Amino acid sequence: MTDLLLHNARILDPGMARDDSGFVAVTDGRISKVDVGAPPAELIAAAARTHDCKGACLAPGLIDMRVQSADPGAEHLEDLSTLLRAAAAGGITSVVALPDASPVIDDASMIDSLGLRATRIGGARLFLYGAATRRLKGKAMAELGLMAEAGAVGFANGTRTIMDSLVMRRLLSYCGMLDRPFIQHCEDHHLTAGSEMNEGETSTRLGLIGAPAEAEAIIIDRDMHLVRLSGARYHAAHISTRAAVDSIRRAKAEGLPVTADTAPPYFMLNELSVSTYDTAFKLAPPLRSEDDRQAIIDALADGTIDAIASDHIPVDGDAKAQPFGPAQPGASGLDTLLAMTLSLVHREHLSLLRAMELLSLAPASILDLEGGVLQHGAAADLVLFDPEAGWVVRGADFASSSRVTPFEGLPVQGRVLASWIGGEAAFQRD
Amino acid sequence: MTDKRERGSDPAIDMAATQAPPAGLSSRHLLGIEGMNPLEITALIERGNMFADIIQKDGQFNRSLSEVLRGRTVLNLFFENSTRTRVSFELAAKHLGGSVLNINVAGSSVKKGETLLDTATTLNAMHPHILVVRHNCSGAAQLLSQHVDAAVINAGDGRHEHPTQALLDALTIKRRVGRIEGLKIAICGDIANSRVARSNIHLLSTLGAEIRLVCPSTLLPAAIDAMGVEIFTDLEQGIEGVDIVMMLRLQTERMEGTETPSQREYFNLFGLDRIKLMRAAPKALIMHPGPMNRGVEIDSATADDVEKSLIRTQVEIGVAARMACLEALAKDGGAA
Repeated sequence: MTDLLLHNARILDPGMARDDSGFVAVTDGRISKVDVGAPPAELIAAAARTHDCKGACLAPGLIDMRVQSADPGAEHLEDLSTLLRAAAAGGITSVVALPDASPVIDDASMIDSLGLRATRIGGARLFLYGAATRRLKGKAMAELGLMAEAGAVGFANGTRTIMDSLVMRRLLSYCGMLDRPFIQHCEDHHLTAGSEMNEGETSTRLGLIGAPAEAEAIIIDRDMHLVRLSGARYHAAHISTRAAVDSIRRAKAEGLPVTADTAPPYFMLNELSVSTYDTAFKLAPPLRSEDDRQAIIDALADGTIDAIASDHIPVDGDAKAQPFGPAQPGASGLDTLLAMTLSLVHREHLSLLRAMELLSLAPASILDLEGGVLQHGAAADLVLFDPEAGWVVRGADFASSSRVTPFEGLPVQGRVLASWIGGEAAFQRD
Repeated sequence: MTDKRERGSDPAIDMAATQAPPAGLSSRHLLGIEGMNPLEITALIERGNMFADIIQKDGQFNRSLSEVLRGRTVLNLFFENSTRTRVSFELAAKHLGGSVLNINVAGSSVKKGETLLDTATTLNAMHPHILVVRHNCSGAAQLLSQHVDAAVINAGDGRHEHPTQALLDALTIKRRVGRIEGLKIAICGDIANSRVARSNIHLLSTLGAEIRLVCPSTLLPAAIDAMGVEIFTDLEQGIEGVDIVMMLRLQTERMEGTETPSQREYFNLFGLDRIKLMRAAPKALIMHPGPMNRGVEIDSATADDVEKSLIRTQVEIGVAARMACLEALAKDGGAA
């Protein structure tokens, strides 16, 4: 008995490097058959539901490995239900949330309860990083072992780098013992103290305090020494500079267990966007130079950067309606993740399969999650999208209740048509 | 582009208009020097020059000028302490017959947590014609200008710009030396944190001066050479043969830290005194936007040298320069 038959699709399976027209059959929430061409008549006859994909791309659902949830703590910005439904509308079938909530997710019971709430809500699946240190203060280790047992997929210290090298060494050692990756936000906070944007000619002209690009690579370079000591898996999150790319490239060449992701602003935009003091462009890390942007694109193409995450941060409009310095960094990302990544395909920097790998297979493998493949037995977390369909980014139209976007007004190509999670329809575009 | 309509036919100031017409600006606001064209800048300076003549000749208030801002409200909104700039704007507005309101931010709703934009909305409802804003955040004046009907004059925003200071500096130089083009001007001190430096670099280089920056390497902002300046970390070399030495204030909190180790060392290396000044051109003049730290960036004998120091003149001329700015924006500014 087949519950769902998706046919007449362009099958994109980064796991098998397959890009072919075909069909996917789903039974009991899992993929029961994938093949090229038209489905056999008996399969169609046996399917409870069929969906004609009309030639659109059918791919493993996106796994967004860097999302901030405002719930718990600031539900008025975006509650868990809105977040997970908005993710599904963006083709994201799994969300991995940072521990930066209020209270901080540094306790096994919080991992439990949030996970439970998410299953009741529906929408995208929710996975959680546990806070690496208590209250994210970068000093005492949180109960990583208990959080790992409760299901934490990795450990992160939010947007605060672990500055103390001894603390960092022990965290890596402990994460290695628990076989969970450590997710680092890479910023030497001493070097970036008081900074408001990337350091360079633009910051000088605008009179904004600059953060040098080197602040990112310094942390990665330090951490590589500690990774050698501990052997733990290390993931550099939202890297944004050429220097960081070079550091990751060297580490990979050496064979260290290192991965990295970036977010769309860092391959779509550069620091010149800040020229009008528009706080939608205030991000952490800050928008970098054009040279950095080019390096990020190259690193996505050559595999130095493994994954793309939305870096979704629900931000209050009031927190952005400020002068640039005091305005809160961050922006919405769920609605635009796929289209922005596809822009690299349209500009011929990436193949469609590589784009899908960056968005699903790679994060799955970094975090030991299911997903990223269209194969018999895999969870039926799927996204159907039209890679050519054009639309204009309007924050006001976002499924997310966080509407501040650095891509406001940008014409893009690539639209999610539907998504399924465990074989159940999680989103259908009208 | 310069706009010479309207005011030229105003009989009240026809006498003055024979020397320099009111300046016209392409923007409704005066937010910064960067992006202004040389014609706009020159028109403001020429007009300011004329106002300075009138004030010097006729004393404090001149009836012929008091029509310019008649019935117009100028609101001084200072989020940062300032005596000199605020009083200068106030006096300038009064010379032109405008009514002036000073918002004392220290005792205002801003301290109660009201945001900058709430303050802007509230003040906007009172329909001022010109809003003079000082704020400690770069870009604050521009942000305000997007949310009010009034014309906004930036009276200093963070480390970004202080356009009227640059205009008054240029006017001061113009009146004393007669020209700006071709002059060698050294701007010395805390360049990284100075909005005065940025506005002056833009203005003086637009008008054809040769700009040198002299500062400790720790106070030099990134990539500033892109602005077409020559950089020195040695004061004596930096002011070698210059016509104007413009000193900047070093904030007290920066004197003993990681930017400069001590007041004593700073004065030794970067403070201007008579001996170092001998390296400049024989008739070199000294400027400082104030307030001065005597014995830190400049010694008293140099600051008070009546032959060489333009520091008091700058304050005096500031009123005339700001009159030109207020007049230029009065035409379109504000809700009626």
